[in-house]
Amino acid sequence: MNDQHDKNNLELDNRSRRRFFGRLSAVVGSVAAAQLLGGNAISNALAYTPRPDSANSDGKLFRQQEMQILRDICAQVIPQTATPGAAEVDTHGFIDNQLFHCYGATEQQQVKSILSKIERISRQRYGQAFNDADQAQQLTLLEELEKPAGGFSQQDRANFKVLKGQIVFGYYTSEVGASEELAYLAIPGDFKGSIPYKSVGKAWGSMRSYY
Amino acid sequence: MNDELYIKESSEIFDAIVVGSGVSGGWAAKEFCEKGFKTLMIERGRVVEHRKDYTSEGVPPWHQTYRSRVENLLLQRDYNIQQQCYAFSDATKHFFANDREMPYSTAEGTEFSWIRANQLGGKSLLWHRQSYRLSEHDFRANGLDGHGTDWPIGYSDLAPWYSHVEKHAGICGTPENLPQLPDSEFLPPFEMSAPEKAIKAAIENHYSDKQLIMGRMAHLTQPTELHLSQGRVKCQARNECQKGCSFGAYFSTQSSTLPSAAKTGNLHIAPNSVVHSLIYDEKTGRVKGVRVIDNDDLSEREYYGKVVFLCASTLGSTQIMLNSTSKAFPQGIANSSGVLGHYLMDHNYNAKVKGDITGFEDEYYRGRRPGGLLIPNFRYKPSRYSDKYQRGFSFSCGAYRETWKDQKEGDGFGSKFKETLSQAGQWKFNMDAQGEMLPRFENHMALHPTLKDKWGIPQVEFNVRWSDNEKLMMEDAVEIGKEILINAGLENVTGEATERPPGIAIHEVGTARMGRDPKDSILNGFNQCHDVANLFVTDGSCFSSSATQNPSLTFMALTARAVDYAAKEIKNGRI
Repeated sequence: MNDQHDKNNLELDNRSRRRFFGRLSAVVGSVAAAQLLGGNAISNALAYTPRPDSANSDGKLFRQQEMQILRDICAQVIPQTATPGAAEVDTHGFIDNQLFHCYGATEQQQVKSILSKIERISRQRYGQAFNDADQAQQLTLLEELEKPAGGFSQQDRANFKVLKGQIVFGYYTSEVGASEELAYLAIPGDFKGSIPYKSVGKAWGSMRSYY
Repeated sequence: MNDELYIKESSEIFDAIVVGSGVSGGWAAKEFCEKGFKTLMIERGRVVEHRKDYTSEGVPPWHQTYRSRVENLLLQRDYNIQQQCYAFSDATKHFFANDREMPYSTAEGTEFSWIRANQLGGKSLLWHRQSYRLSEHDFRANGLDGHGTDWPIGYSDLAPWYSHVEKHAGICGTPENLPQLPDSEFLPPFEMSAPEKAIKAAIENHYSDKQLIMGRMAHLTQPTELHLSQGRVKCQARNECQKGCSFGAYFSTQSSTLPSAAKTGNLHIAPNSVVHSLIYDEKTGRVKGVRVIDNDDLSEREYYGKVVFLCASTLGSTQIMLNSTSKAFPQGIANSSGVLGHYLMDHNYNAKVKGDITGFEDEYYRGRRPGGLLIPNFRYKPSRYSDKYQRGFSFSCGAYRETWKDQKEGDGFGSKFKETLSQAGQWKFNMDAQGEMLPRFENHMALHPTLKDKWGIPQVEFNVRWSDNEKLMMEDAVEIGKEILINAGLENVTGEATERPPGIAIHEVGTARMGRDPKDSILNGFNQCHDVANLFVTDGSCFSSSATQNPSLTFMALTARAVDYAAKEIKNGRI
């Protein structure tokens, strides 16, 4: 029912988008209107493009083995449900790129350090790499990290929160996260101060300029 | 726009020169052009064409290079100061100054955040669009409590000019009939959310001296024929204004004043022209024109005009004046009083309060309202002052529901965590104080004796501090803010006084203040220099006091009024 609801909304959105495009073109011209609704191609050029295989090779910051751990953590934090999860939209690849370009040595080291600790604890406890541990084992280990317990310290927890913040940011600013998992309105048209929550049924994924 | 709009070399003597193209410069140019004056607008930065140059507009986060974040190296190297501005992001950074190219210093033990926008349109592209009239109480505060000098004008002088600019710019809001915040010519207001309405009712039920009103903003909620004729349409509630708005739905130079000025055929623009100083004629006692350094190749050129309007931003205009020395004015043009650069003010944003709103889980909003609510200053006259400090403050407010941004480091995993993040969370209410800063001689800017920028212009050195009056006011604002929210029924109410430096409100005013006495002020009541009849300064430099209101609407009204006066004086042969 939710899916049907979303689909109806999407079709409604597409219809209103076409109608809106027509009205907008009349005001600003069709080239400008297309740019407004579709974004500017030039500024897309350098955006990180999700890849299906980024865990199979070294990233800019992380070694291949770290990329795999990162991918599995992404899947544990935000799994595939009715919509793709964080691993499916290559949040791990995004984080590698984002941490490399937009953060300093402190945050980079915090994430590197927690990945290494997770791997160490996994080998101690399960006798195998985190990637080889089964789903339940991975989850148990991460839940203990968040408490923290089972060999993880408060500092480990703090380091993990930096990573978790990046996973959530990466997922909900991805196309799937922002516009499928959440409700996305590029051009709302106007502001309504009061609508029934159930008419949207989820949070808005579209925000102001700064995410 | 016509092909001859942009010029470089010119020996022409223009009827009017306007330095700057932001809120004030746009208005000066429009008013002069519409009166038939051949006008040259000088802009230090590049041309930004409406729509065409809003390169980040409409780009969803997943297509942005770093999803709104800015590359670390670039941030550290070029935007060390500018990044402090709330509106700074990857999608807006091209409208901010480059700190590396534009260094300045601060006196030992002081800090100052100088946020700049150097392109056609200036900060009118980046502003927060809040638009409030000053009241008679604001114009009289200095005279009544003895700080600074009395404004030489009163509310009645400015009221018709507020109306004049409001009709053109388009200001939305609600008439409230408040003595401290006169109503504007309003377009319909934005809506409040359900909890905001409830909190409004609770506050106004509990207090007789406080109101919670819808913010007044330069947004077209319902465009008039005049706005449509400017090529502007209704606000689409994206709240991504600082990327530029192709709908022209908020007031900017590009959307509103420039089209009107260009339509007359009287407008010329000299972009990439960094004004070094004004050319003063010792014989006539008048300004002849301006010396310019080319922004790109650093070559020099001059432009000439019969009257010069400085609209280069508060600190920019004063920097130019301080650097315009002559035999008659060794300390800067029109500075016989010695107060040029002094009485620098900003607004004080150093108190914030927040709380949780219970209930309203079935309520949501649709669209992104481009501004919030306001609790107007309730300490607007001496009889309402606190016994601990003088003057007052307002609160900017708003309610919202939490999203993943507020929960991104929360505990949990898997589909349950995902489900939690996908839903709108707790309703929250924020209040941020906006406090008046007293005009004090000690707070000043000066030219550095040795350091220059790449254009060979002496760098600015700031010496500005919050006084005890401002600090005590913010401590009080935290306590009052918390009391308001507790009385309005909010929970988990917290507040804190912060220590952000002056400048970061980006409401810098003063430094070439108006006054009646040429011995202790730079400008008369028409923004005209006491010492140089054909030189006007109509941006925030002219303010005698800061009041608590966002100042841009007052820049517009003062500028339009000053042009009207100058045009009459020219016609009558007095300029």
